[in-house]
Amino acid sequence: MALLELKNVTKHYNGIAPALDDVSFSVNEGEFVSIIGSSGSGKTTLLRCINRMVEATSGEIAFGGIVVSRLGKMELRQVRTKIGMIFQQFNLVDRMSVIENVLHGRLGHKSTLAGVLGIYTREERWQALRIIQMLGLDQQVYQRCDQLSGGQKQRVGIARALVQNPKLILCDEPIASLDPSSAKTIMDHLRSICTELGVTLIISLHQVDVALKYTDRIIGLNRGIVVFDGPPGELTSQRSAEIYAKEPKDVNIDLGERNAS
Amino acid sequence: MIEIKGIGTEQFSSPNLNTAKPLDRAALAIRLTLLVLAVTTIYALLTINANGIDMPKAILDTLSTLRTIFFQPYSYHFTVWQGFWEIVITLGLAFLTTLFGGVIALFLGLMAAQNLAPKWLTNVIKSVVAFIRAVPSILWVLIFAVAAGLGSTAAVIGLTFHSVAYLTKAYSESFEDLDRSVIEALMATGANWWQVVFQAVIPSSATYLLSWTFLRFEINFSNAVAMGAAAGAAGIGFDLFMASEFYFNLHEVGLVTYFILAFAIILEVLATNMKSRLMKQA
Ligand SMILES: Nc1ncnc2c1ncn2[C@@H]1O[C@H](COP(=O)(O)OP(=O)(O)O)[C@@H](O)[C@H]1O
Ligand SMILES: [Mg+2]
Repeated sequence: MALLELKNVTKHYNGIAPALDDVSFSVNEGEFVSIIGSSGSGKTTLLRCINRMVEATSGEIAFGGIVVSRLGKMELRQVRTKIGMIFQQFNLVDRMSVIENVLHGRLGHKSTLAGVLGIYTREERWQALRIIQMLGLDQQVYQRCDQLSGGQKQRVGIARALVQNPKLILCDEPIASLDPSSAKTIMDHLRSICTELGVTLIISLHQVDVALKYTDRIIGLNRGIVVFDGPPGELTSQRSAEIYAKEPKDVNIDLGERNAS
Repeated sequence: MIEIKGIGTEQFSSPNLNTAKPLDRAALAIRLTLLVLAVTTIYALLTINANGIDMPKAILDTLSTLRTIFFQPYSYHFTVWQGFWEIVITLGLAFLTTLFGGVIALFLGLMAAQNLAPKWLTNVIKSVVAFIRAVPSILWVLIFAVAAGLGSTAAVIGLTFHSVAYLTKAYSESFEDLDRSVIEALMATGANWWQVVFQAVIPSSATYLLSWTFLRFEINFSNAVAMGAAAGAAGIGFDLFMASEFYFNLHEVGLVTYFILAFAIILEVLATNMKSRLMKQA
């Protein structure tokens, strides 16, 4: 059964060209899907539409059979607890410790009051520690996050997502600001989270070779249009060139550079 | 409560083109002001009417007054313990206004922080608060005295009012230290606004909040002294007022000044200690 289903999703910010143009695809449980495309092609927008950090202009997004687009505030919160997210810039609270940052992933599962007071159960703490250990951060549990290296910060980011017990994790260029060896560590962890924990992952990537090596399926975006969707084996250099092509026939008012990463 | 627009994790940055300009409007305004001030000062000094005053004698008298104040402190009207008690009252005034101000400013600060509240709201609060801060505390006390009568009630309300404005600005800027993208990341896990505020925003700015609050406490202490003298609020300031304006007793003025100085130093030392301990802990 499809865990996630996008139907004709379109997103206009205010520019002339849409950031996402009639995007449709579905993702099955346990898949590891990568989204590739040049900068400004709409990868971030696509990922953020899924948990409604960005509101799609039109189209329908269903997660686990629930149509996300129509949910009220409370139900949206419920859905978001099942979707983890990790970022290129990690987005951790720098002045707080590793364990505190990881436990933040539990807030969505709590009542407002329990969350405000920071009342975590024993099981929650235990689970957080176990995940931290699994990611090889046991030496850093009580260290402040601004003392960590980039690779370690990203592992905290992954731990924060995992402690949510998510069905799906969205990863927005998680290795774009890491050195090659940390990048490899992170990708290995993500791969095993998919294979061993059965979590579905959607990851946007800059590097085609990483997508080819690690993921089960690749979606190619070009100016918000899905121009490729298939297993790595089908991504010929011809098709890859299409994904990164700057079609000359389009009028090119490209604001993408502003957002280059 | 906050609407999440699609700001990417990437930061948009626009280079500041103004820095290259040699003389912008602000610099020009400053120079003009300084020039005008210099001219008026020279003019005033040249045309001052000092005929009735014997300058050397005036200077000597001033020095002797200062000597009486600072080298012969003595009290006729209160004992050391009474003085101490008066200081405690002044401290109480400072404590109360800082506490009220801090609690109210905490909430206003959240609503004024750009990463936590909609832009229109932050703009409204920041402008109101800027206006309140532009008027000195003592004036606010006098304004409230119209309704409450001169005395400690007006002092508490007026000082609280100004503290709220001061701390709202300071707090909101501390809150803004936490990137909007971090807050969004937490909202994306399903956490709600209050949880994010209490579990991420406030803990990560706690040291700054405490430092600002203590700084304001020091300000409120000196304000409270002034209120005692000027607005008839009780405390050591009132003794200073009585000594200088009523009894005209310079020895007593000196003693009160030393009392205030001693406490100001104690506060300063405590503040420094507390801050360094917090920094180590954080
Ligand atoms: N908050 C925003 N407001 C306006 N336009 C945006 C915003 N975020 C992204 N865009 C535009 O949408 C397009 C897709 O951007 P994005 O999804 O960030 O692409 P990618 O992640 O692939 O680099 C770009 O043209 C970008 O300029
Ligand atoms: Mg992006």
